[in-house]
Amino acid sequence: MKNSASTNSKKRFSAQSIREFATRNAIILVLAALILVIGIVKTGFLAPENLINIMRISSVRLIIALGCAGALITGGTDLSAGRTVGLSAVIVASLVQRPDYAQRIFPNIATMPVILPILIAVAAGLLVGFINGMVIAYLKVPPFIATLGMMVMVWGAASLYVDRPPLGAQPIGGLRAEFTNIGTGSIGFGNFGIPTIILIALVVFAVYWVLLNKTQLGKNMYAIGGNINAAIVSGVNVKRNLVAVYTIAGALYGLAGVLLAARSGGATNNYGQSYELDAIAAAVIGGVSTSGGRGTVVGVLTGVLIFEVLNNGLVVIGVSTYWQQVIKGIIIIAAVAVDIRKYSAKR
Amino acid sequence: MKKIVLLFLAVAVTLSVVGCAPKAVTPKIGVAIYKFDDTFMSYVRNQIQAAAEGKIELSVQDSQYDQPRQNDQVDQFLAEGCTALAINMVDPSAVSVIIDKCKAKNVPLVLFNREPVAADMAVWDKVYYVGAKAQQSGTYQGEIAADYWKSHPEADLNKDGIMQYVMLMGDPSNTDAKYRTEYSIKAVEAAGIKTQKLAEDTAMWDRVKGQEKMAAFLTANAGKIEMVFGNNDDMALGAIEALKAAGYFTNGKYMPVVGVDATAPALDALAQGTLLGTVLNDAVRQGQATFDLAYALATGKEAKTDVAPLADADGNVDPAGKYIWVPYVKVTKDNYKDFVK
Repeated sequence: MKNSASTNSKKRFSAQSIREFATRNAIILVLAALILVIGIVKTGFLAPENLINIMRISSVRLIIALGCAGALITGGTDLSAGRTVGLSAVIVASLVQRPDYAQRIFPNIATMPVILPILIAVAAGLLVGFINGMVIAYLKVPPFIATLGMMVMVWGAASLYVDRPPLGAQPIGGLRAEFTNIGTGSIGFGNFGIPTIILIALVVFAVYWVLLNKTQLGKNMYAIGGNINAAIVSGVNVKRNLVAVYTIAGALYGLAGVLLAARSGGATNNYGQSYELDAIAAAVIGGVSTSGGRGTVVGVLTGVLIFEVLNNGLVVIGVSTYWQQVIKGIIIIAAVAVDIRKYSAKR
Repeated sequence: MKKIVLLFLAVAVTLSVVGCAPKAVTPKIGVAIYKFDDTFMSYVRNQIQAAAEGKIELSVQDSQYDQPRQNDQVDQFLAEGCTALAINMVDPSAVSVIIDKCKAKNVPLVLFNREPVAADMAVWDKVYYVGAKAQQSGTYQGEIAADYWKSHPEADLNKDGIMQYVMLMGDPSNTDAKYRTEYSIKAVEAAGIKTQKLAEDTAMWDRVKGQEKMAAFLTANAGKIEMVFGNNDDMALGAIEALKAAGYFTNGKYMPVVGVDATAPALDALAQGTLLGTVLNDAVRQGQATFDLAYALATGKEAKTDVAPLADADGNVDPAGKYIWVPYVKVTKDNYKDFVK
C-alpha cells in the first residue's frame, strides 16, 4: 500500500515534470519537431552539408537578431537593422574589389589589408546605431519612429554611395578571395574544419551572453525594459544605457553586413532589405518580449534556427513560393502562442 | 485676391500670344525620361544626347517618376515648338493623354522603353514605340543553354537526353520574370531538347536569396541538376556562390548557369569561367534607334532607323509598322570583352 502510493506520486511527479519541461522548452521542441518532420519528408535535408549551410546562413541572421533583441529587451525596437546591414555590405564590398576587376567603384584605391575595410564598415554601422541611441535617449523620439526614419535614411545613403557616375547603380562584384574566404572558408583544427563565419557568430553569441547575464549594462537593459520608472528611481542612467544598446546593435549590423557580402561574394544597395522583420520575428519566436524586459540569447538563437530551418526546409521539400509564406506566418504565430504559455502559467 | 487672379490671367494671355507669334521652324526634339536615376535609362539617355550632338537641338527633362509632371513637360515641349517628341512614359497606361496633346498639334510622338498597350498605340498614325521585346531575353537565355547542351554531351549527367534544370525566378508578379521563365524553356525545347524542371522558386532578383535557394535546390536534387537558369544576373551569381560552396568550379566540376542583364559582376564571372552566358538589354542601340526615329520625324523625313526596321507589335517586319524592336544581345565568354566598360 505504502509502496504503491509512493510509485503513484513518483509517476504523477514525472508526468508533471515532463509537462513542465515541455512548456519551459516549447520553442526548442518546436525546432526539433520541424527538423524531424522535414528530415522524414526529405532525408537529404539532414545531410551534414545542408545542416552546415543552414548554420552559415543563420550566422548572419543571428548577429542581426541579437542586435534587435537588445533593443527589444529595453522595450524599444530597431527597424533600421536591415538597411544598416546593406550599408555596411556596400561599403565593405566597394573597398575590397580585386585590382584587376573592370568596373571598380574606386578605380584608384590602393589594395589594403582586408581588416581595414571591415573596420570601416563596422564603424559605419556603429555610427548609425549611435545616432539611433542619441535620438531615442535624448530627443525622446519613440524607437519605432526613430529607427523607421533611420531605415529610410540609411537606404538613401547606401544608394547615394553606390549610384554615382560613371557606373551608376551597379551591383558591386569582383571581391578579393582573402575577403570572401571569411564567408566561405573554414578554420582548421587538426583534421576538423569549422566554417569561419559560424565561428565568428559563436564568438558574438558568447560575448552577447556575457553582456546580458554578467554585466551591469545587461542588468540595466532588463530593468529599463521591465519598468523604466523603477529603473530611473533605482539610479540607472537610462540615457547612457540606451545609447550603448543601440550603438552595440549598430556595430553588430555592420559586422553582419560584412559577413553577408563575404558569403555572397558581392553587394547591392538592396542588401538586407526587410531583414529587420525576420530578426524581430526570430527574436520574438525565441521568447523575447516586444514589450521589453524579457529575452535570452539562447532563445534568440533558437528563433533564428527555426526561421532558417523553415526557409531551407520548405524549398528542399519543394513547397511553392506562396505556400512557403503562408506556412512561415503560421509558424511565427503558433510558436509564440505556445511559448507564451510558460509566462501565463507562472502568473 | 482678385487682383492676383487678374494679374495671373493677364500674364498667361501675354505669354500665350508671345508663344504663338514666332512659329518655330528649326527642328527640335523634346525628350522626357521617366526618372534620371534609373541606371539603364541613363545609358539610353547618354546615347540619345551623343547621337544628337551637332545634328539637332534637344531638350531633355527628368520626369522624376511623376506622370503629372511629365504631362506638364510635354505641354512645355509643344509650346516651345518641338517638331518631334521622344517620351519614356512614367506610367505607360496613361499614354492616351499625351497622344491627344501631340495629335492636337500634329507633332509626331516616339515612345520608348516603357511599352503602352496596342489599343492606345492604334489611335493615331504618328505615334511610334521603340523598345526591346521582353520575351526575347528569355529566348536568348534558352538558346545559350541549348547551344552548350548540344556541344557538350557530358552536360547530360544521367544520359537520358533530357535537360534537368532549376529556375531562379525574379518577383513572380513582374512580367519580365514571367517571360524569362517561360521563354527560356520554350527556346530549349524549340532546339529539340526535352526538359524537366527539378525545382523553381523565386529569389526576388536578389543575390543572397539566389544563393540560399540554390543551396536548398542542391540539397534536394544532389547530382541531378544539369542546368541553372536565373531571371537575372544577381540571382545567377548567387547560385554560382552556392555551387562553389558545394565544390563546383574546382577540379573540373562544372555547372552551366545563365543569367540576364550583363552586369559588371556577370561579365567578371564570364571572364572567370563560372557564368555560361547572360543577355544584354542594349541601351546604346535603344538610345540610337530612339534618336534616329525621332530625328527623321522631327525633320520631316521617312520614319526609319539603322538599328532595326519598322515592325508590327508582334515583331514582324512591316514598312507601315509603328514599332522598332531593338534586339537583345547574347553575351558569352566569346564576346564579353566588347561589353566591359
